[in-house]
Amino acid sequence: MRQFSLFMLQRQLRLKILKIANLSKSSHCHIGSCLSCIDILIQTLIYEMGERDKFVLSKGHASLALYVVLNYLGKISDKTLSTYFQNNTKLGIHTPSTLQRDIPLGTGSLGHGLSFSCGLALGNLMANKQNPRNVYCLISDGECNEGAIWEAALFATAHKLYNLIIIVDKNGLQAFGKTKDILGDGAAIEKWKSFGFNTYECDGHNLNELKRVFNEIKINVGSRPNIVICKTVRGKGLKVIENKVVSNYVSVDEKLLNSIYL
Amino acid sequence: MKQQLARSLKRLAMKDRKIIFITGDLGFNAFEELQKTMQDRFINAGVAEHNMITLAAGLAYMGFKPWIYSIAPFITIKVLEEIRNDVSLTKSDIKIIGLGAGFDYGIAGPTHHAIQDVGAVLSLPNMKVYAPGFIEDVDTVIDKIYRYKGPVYLRLSKEEKAKLKVPQYAPLRRINRGAKVTVVALGNIIQEVIKASFLLKDNLRSIDIWIVSELPLKFEQKLIDSIKRTRKLIVVEEHVSTGGLGAYLSSYLMKNYPMVVKQFTHKCVQGYKSRNYGDRQFHLRENDLDAESIFSTLKTFTS
Repeated sequence: MRQFSLFMLQRQLRLKILKIANLSKSSHCHIGSCLSCIDILIQTLIYEMGERDKFVLSKGHASLALYVVLNYLGKISDKTLSTYFQNNTKLGIHTPSTLQRDIPLGTGSLGHGLSFSCGLALGNLMANKQNPRNVYCLISDGECNEGAIWEAALFATAHKLYNLIIIVDKNGLQAFGKTKDILGDGAAIEKWKSFGFNTYECDGHNLNELKRVFNEIKINVGSRPNIVICKTVRGKGLKVIENKVVSNYVSVDEKLLNSIYL
Repeated sequence: MKQQLARSLKRLAMKDRKIIFITGDLGFNAFEELQKTMQDRFINAGVAEHNMITLAAGLAYMGFKPWIYSIAPFITIKVLEEIRNDVSLTKSDIKIIGLGAGFDYGIAGPTHHAIQDVGAVLSLPNMKVYAPGFIEDVDTVIDKIYRYKGPVYLRLSKEEKAKLKVPQYAPLRRINRGAKVTVVALGNIIQEVIKASFLLKDNLRSIDIWIVSELPLKFEQKLIDSIKRTRKLIVVEEHVSTGGLGAYLSSYLMKNYPMVVKQFTHKCVQGYKSRNYGDRQFHLRENDLDAESIFSTLKTFTS
């Protein structure tokens, strides 16, 4: 029964993303990325985050997926959500800094979110050494091209930010090609291991697997920061655009909307 | 100014435990004492300035008061996007301290010079720039920017102690009273202007000398009165013409007092004519910003 309701939730929020994108009539909603990370967002924001934990969507172009999850949680009203992509909206293509306090950073330019998350995690540790709150930061494998990611990774280990949980949406694609063909795999587990992280891998569309990994992180509290490398499919749920670069450049017409198989 | 910065910050850090000092791996032989005092609130973030700026933004969000430090170009131009997205747009209470105004780092070369920093930072929303002229200013400026809850860029120089009685710090100060020409300088280049004015000897009384240490600035009436009286204006800054004091002041005058100035020159950085390296004075000479060159301009304007 639980499995079924989780599946229905994944489908329901996917559909919501597609309907909003359809209404926007725009090809700039980054549908591929939204469908790639929606399941990670569901598990993290709805089931994992505790009170006063923080979440940073470093891959800010997937903000529509975040809005839909926040709407499900009652943190963005239907009315506000309906303003997406219209003039004078609070909800841009990229995440604004005016959402509630547990989503503190406006993003859009890649490579900022992890450094900011390090600041949040360190601030939490300094303010409350015994029981620091967790900071979740969602980045993408393409984003690992950015130098600042690696500056932040070094910092996180050097300062023992064990309350930092990086989640990588590893769909293997970036803006103009395959990640492996451009600068190589920045989300390779051995890279992050060598940087001193506790590393975890899972299927980023499987909520049970995600849950298992988050539980492991809760048990394995040490001095190392954590990274969950989630294997995902860009455009997951729409066969015609799955695993294709074009998935981030399509506008969602009725035909595409109705082709959802999840 | 670096040593004075360390002393002033030590004083503040002792009374306010929210202050966090973050350095981009710099401060050898200057910040050891500060490090000892601040302990885990003194963070060497390494040679990783992009991370340092945004990290500070995260800490500020958590209610801390980060003061971040590096050589001026590495904490302004190099990280301009981090400042824009994570510090200025969010009005975060972060103090950015850059050492090495203008050509301070001399023979270290153009990579270490800060000659576009003021314009670059001022082009961002909510940013204030502080450019003290004298070591004596630093303690007061540190106090002032500590009390201000918002983003600030403090442009420090490696200036030695000046051989004059420094008037008490203010955003705009008159250094010398004169009747024929108004000279306005940004920050520490004022010391070259003062040296130039001494060369004038008997004509010293002909130049009205001012120092500006904060931008943006609402220019006080006393400066406008000076310009109205002399109708001759020289702006001096160790910065390129775009985005600095000259651009700011001339735009202000054009808007508010369009016909007030009949003779104007902007003494500012032109660039690297010879493409050779040298100390600060070498670069000042190459840009007609050393005391001798300023003296020649003053003579022309007062004759």
